[in-house]
Amino acid sequence: MMSDQQIIKLCAKHDRKAQQILYDRYSRLLLGVCLRYATDKAEAEDILQDSFLKIFFNIKEYSGSGSFIGWLRKVAVNTAITQYHKNLKYRYHIDIEDYISVEAGTTSFEEDFFTSDELFKVLNELPAGYRMVFNLYAVEGYKHKEIAEMLGIDTNTSKSQYSRAKAVIRDKLEKLGKLKSIYSESD
Amino acid sequence: MKKEKENIGLRDLFSRKLGKAEVIPDASVKSDLMRRLARKEFLRFNASRFNIYYLGGIIISGITGLLLLSSYENTHHLNNSPIKEETFKTDSLNYFKIPVQQPDRKAQVISDNTLSIKNSNVSISHLSDKEGIKPTKIPYTNRDSVLLPTSINKSIGKKGLFNDTAATNQKLKSKYIPDELLIDPNASVGCAPLKVRFHNRSTSYDSCRWTFGDGGYSDKRDPEWIFDLAGEYKVVLNVYYDDGKQSSSVATVIVHPRPQAHFEVSPAKAVVPNDEIRFLNYSTNAVQFRWKFGDGVASESFEPVHIYSKYAKYNVSLVAISDWGCSDSLTVINAFSDSKYYIEFPNAIIPNSQGPSGGYYSSKSDEGAQVFHPSFTGVSDYQLKIFSKLGIVIFETNDINIGWDGYNKGQLCDPGVYIWKVRGKFRNGEPFIKMGDVTILKN
Repeated sequence: MMSDQQIIKLCAKHDRKAQQILYDRYSRLLLGVCLRYATDKAEAEDILQDSFLKIFFNIKEYSGSGSFIGWLRKVAVNTAITQYHKNLKYRYHIDIEDYISVEAGTTSFEEDFFTSDELFKVLNELPAGYRMVFNLYAVEGYKHKEIAEMLGIDTNTSKSQYSRAKAVIRDKLEKLGKLKSIYSESD
Repeated sequence: MKKEKENIGLRDLFSRKLGKAEVIPDASVKSDLMRRLARKEFLRFNASRFNIYYLGGIIISGITGLLLLSSYENTHHLNNSPIKEETFKTDSLNYFKIPVQQPDRKAQVISDNTLSIKNSNVSISHLSDKEGIKPTKIPYTNRDSVLLPTSINKSIGKKGLFNDTAATNQKLKSKYIPDELLIDPNASVGCAPLKVRFHNRSTSYDSCRWTFGDGGYSDKRDPEWIFDLAGEYKVVLNVYYDDGKQSSSVATVIVHPRPQAHFEVSPAKAVVPNDEIRFLNYSTNAVQFRWKFGDGVASESFEPVHIYSKYAKYNVSLVAISDWGCSDSLTVINAFSDSKYYIEFPNAIIPNSQGPSGGYYSSKSDEGAQVFHPSFTGVSDYQLKIFSKLGIVIFETNDINIGWDGYNKGQLCDPGVYIWKVRGKFRNGEPFIKMGDVTILKN
């Protein structure tokens, strides 16, 4: 099995085989990333394709320092943000104010209580702006200042959207949790 | 069992569960991607991947090149015209130079005769090379030709000079679509202060920066800029793309100085309607002038002279027009408000010994000073009385146009000193009362 370093070297020379290996190795992970930013799987796959094109053509720019996976994720996230900006004007905006009344609870959650699919579904139901900020902050681990720059919004907007997103998610998870426990008890 | 699990925060929950979540993409995604990759790479030349496609491409482009070259030589032999290239050169400037039409300009062209139009046509190539003005001039004549007397149109049509220019113009215009240009100013030649709206034609970019050549700049997509001072400005648009690339485009904006209309009235306290009034022209940067004296009379002289026929308030206006069609106007409202009204009487007359004249006079008929009458201006109310030495009124009139002829009841008065008294009002409402004596001299 080839190491990442070897694959990077070969990809830089546009070696078709190496490119295929790179795709096979990381496409699932990156699709997982893309999916969190896209409205559906088809859009996520589009973003994935664009990301890979960028990766293949710019692989020389990967300096070698820092994690390669981190670099791949960064490319995918950036591509997703570009796509988000493109779609922004066509997308239906849900009035954010609807969610303000939600109280931010302090409930903590058990890691394995919810499946990834359920979490994803909750995430996907968020308004696009919330989802972007929540994804970038909570999952990707960017700082609010970085997020503000990436999305072209104010740092405070990023912060407030994150806290609102959190409140909405918490609310949804709690409801889902109740439903789930009812079902599991009846099982 | 659930309770043994570790309780974690929301952020950790998502980053742990979703951060590394893997989703299997559709198989078609991979094949699609590889196709797109192949297409993109094919378009990028890469020596290490030199293959049959590149070879084919090179052969095809070589053959097309040869074919083009030979066809070019053919046409070159057929119509060996250096004019073509010249028109092309000037025309490439054309989409920068959309003319700012001064409404006055039109009239100027019309007032010109056939000769001058020919002139402008002939001088076109000349002008354009130096100052880039030509393209603005063609549309002028083009558009105004409708308004020209038909004879002029015909004479141009026969020679074909005019039509030719227009035709080549049209052809070249369609050939060189200015799409590559990022800048589209709505006007690039005009008079100071010139307001220009710029359009950024690039479709997708991250940010842009306009520098206007006068120290100003803007980051707007389609900024509006006012050039206050005359001059030639190089407007640069830099466009930055998200991938760090940038491109720039340049347009030239020519701002012509605006003339300044200025005039004075001579004499300074001219009296309407009597005085002959000279308008002193102090306008700068102007070559053409349009005067309106306010009484319906107009003039295009540099310094016109005008006599008003009656008393009124007149607004005098001057429009000064520069070489470039830039104009400025000055209107002086109630230009003769400074008028000095007066009424003056002579101190002696020599009555006509042949008999009474009735006192009618005019400045011409009374050269012999036979009638006692005032020199005046702006008088509205008037009453004149003449007294004898004994204080008896021997003449009285309310009509300023009738003077005293030196007779009393049909008899010539004796030579000597008589007293006159006048009272009345000037047109501005100011009253006057004057007294004096007049000596009747023996004829």
